[in-house]
Amino acid sequence: MNLFKAELRRIVRRRLSLIFGILALAGVVVLSGFIWAISSQGPSEAELAEAQEMADDWNMENPDYVDCIGEEDYFEDNEFYEWALTDPEYEELSHQERCEAYVGGSRASDYVWTYTFDFESEGPSMLLGVVIVAGLIMMMLASSAIGAEWSSGGMSNLMVWHPNRMQVWGAKLGAALALCAVAMIALAALAFGLLFLTAAVRGEVGTLDGPWWEETLEVLLRTGVLALGMTTLGASLAMLGRHTAIAGGVIAGYLIIGDLIVQMASMAMPMPFPERLSLYTWVIAWISGRIELTDWSDMGMNPDVMVITWGDAGLLLGGIVLLFGALATWSFHRRDAA
Amino acid sequence: MPPIIEIQGLRKTYRRSFRQPHNALDGLDLEVAAGQVHGFLGPNGSGKTTTLRALLGLIRVDGGTMRIFGEEVPQRLPQVVSRIGAVVESPQFFKHFSGRLTLQLLAESAGVPKDRVEAVLEQVGLRDAAKASVKGYSLGMRQRLAVAQALLKQPQLLILDEPANGLDPAGIHHMRELLQWLAHEQGVTVVVSSHLLSEVQQLCDSMTIVSRGRRIVDGSVAEIIAGHSGASLSVRFPDAASLPEAAEALTAAKPTVGAVVERDRLVVTGAPEAAWVTQTLAEAGIYLSELVTQTKNLESVFLELTGTAPAPGQTVQIGQSVAVPETAAPIEVPVTVANEAEEAQR
Ligand SMILES: Nc1ncnc2c1ncn2[C@@H]1O[C@H](COP(=O)(O)OP(=O)(O)OP(=O)(O)O)[C@@H](O)[C@H]1O
Ligand SMILES: [Mg+2]
Repeated sequence: MNLFKAELRRIVRRRLSLIFGILALAGVVVLSGFIWAISSQGPSEAELAEAQEMADDWNMENPDYVDCIGEEDYFEDNEFYEWALTDPEYEELSHQERCEAYVGGSRASDYVWTYTFDFESEGPSMLLGVVIVAGLIMMMLASSAIGAEWSSGGMSNLMVWHPNRMQVWGAKLGAALALCAVAMIALAALAFGLLFLTAAVRGEVGTLDGPWWEETLEVLLRTGVLALGMTTLGASLAMLGRHTAIAGGVIAGYLIIGDLIVQMASMAMPMPFPERLSLYTWVIAWISGRIELTDWSDMGMNPDVMVITWGDAGLLLGGIVLLFGALATWSFHRRDAA
Repeated sequence: MPPIIEIQGLRKTYRRSFRQPHNALDGLDLEVAAGQVHGFLGPNGSGKTTTLRALLGLIRVDGGTMRIFGEEVPQRLPQVVSRIGAVVESPQFFKHFSGRLTLQLLAESAGVPKDRVEAVLEQVGLRDAAKASVKGYSLGMRQRLAVAQALLKQPQLLILDEPANGLDPAGIHHMRELLQWLAHEQGVTVVVSSHLLSEVQQLCDSMTIVSRGRRIVDGSVAEIIAGHSGASLSVRFPDAASLPEAAEALTAAKPTVGAVVERDRLVVTGAPEAAWVTQTLAEAGIYLSELVTQTKNLESVFLELTGTAPAPGQTVQIGQSVAVPETAAPIEVPVTVANEAEEAQR
């Protein structure tokens, strides 16, 4: 327990943690601030009046529109606009509205742009993004804390103090995971608070009913588990490679280049559902709950559909994390400390 | 009282791809008695650090048994580690933490009271540098920090691999006093590996010398040195004229004895003992005025024992020190190994 607390403190006291922590907080604040700035519950009277004026000015410059306004029977008399008479909405519009709609006159709404932030529909995906970023940051922090300790030589010294290596590994991994969970919950809570406030003041909250909460929490929970898995993976790779750069390099290398190579290879091979070879497919399936891959190879007559549920994805991703975790444990148990 | 450290037949082989395996430790034995400062000496690459690493469970060994406080290690290391403080070969610390934080984290991790941190910082003279990050520490400051972390637990066994490495004269002096105080006043057992032989000679009570992964000699420092100093006697006479005469008398009495005139004295080597010299000279009618057993210093004994004494114009390469045959029993003090002529003579 003492060791666990010391390991927690070791990560927290690193300068990198401070930097990442500030960046993450700033990121959430900036995101909310940005939405605050662009979102509104609709244009004000003054804005509408100004927009109407601009529309009127513009219309006065448009000879067709002026003609249309000046002639009651403009559409009936003009053979170019016969199509307009067949429009089901035609009868319901006033003459001015007809001129705006069919002749291309300007409307006030063309000169005011409004965006209304809808927390109910847009909030969950933003929270999900925040949790993923928190997870990525913790993965980097965990692997760099362990990697730096190996490459600086501090690990041997720690092992002189704590000869039970499994205890050392457990404390380090536990500290990283605990911190990851705390960071995610804190950032998600902050983002929730700020975005909710933004929606309440400058947008629409919508109805956050039982099903909404259920679905949102389910997705966030799965994303959180994914982040914990990434943290474990980062820590394991740093333990295996005994260097931060190795852990970071393997992960980034696979996600950027390895996945690309696999995708290209799968395209060259005649196989159904080549997307299933990409790790991203499984990650998306895990987060969103399910994903459907469609095989169009028989020209769209009867497309085959492959469904990947979060359970399937969990098995695969969990297996990968477990494999590297076990490898790291075994190697730490067996290998000489340099 | 049983020895604090007992090592028997320790083996460690480094297997390297495409090259011959290398026996860093080749059946090494080591015994350290309680309450002593024990020197652990040997040429570069002779396996000192490897032994200490193995003892602390940092590396796996390929054979042999090790005990600390009578407990089998590395299996029982977690039970005894709270009583051991160690510095293994210029340890490194995370660069961006201050010296104080480094110690605090270690103390916290092992449940050592917080006030020990300030106490050891004071003890190693890092009080004023404790706030600075380790990145800005000099070699000697890092070494002091390493010693500080070893002292943190108030250990009963202190294992220090080249603790004097990089220390300034005041630091070395202070370290010597600290270690002697710990051993003789506090009952701490101290094992130090060092290449500073004058330092070892002053500091250590007993020592073990290893070469190529095997022990070549162990025992008390004074005895080992004494065991090798009988070989040389310095004799003076009231009258310098009797020098050649005396040399002749001695060599005539025993042809294997060497007697060389050095200015106003005679240096006798290979004599069985001092009494034999006085007796032989008296029988020849020559009376001496002074007979001094020349105490060799540890350095010359070490060079002789390890076979690394430099020859003019040659450098002793790593791994060229004497090899002890596998079957040889541990050499008992004060038998000399190097001087075979003397052995044959007995
Ligand atoms: N990790 C390693 N891989 C391969 N060989 C090693 C390794 N560590 C040590 N050795 C070898 O083991 C032998 C003993 O090394 P060790 O570090 O124990 O020597 P030492 O007595 O401490 O020397 P020094 O006085 O220079 O500190 C050397 O020949 C060295 O080359
Ligand atoms: Mg060494």
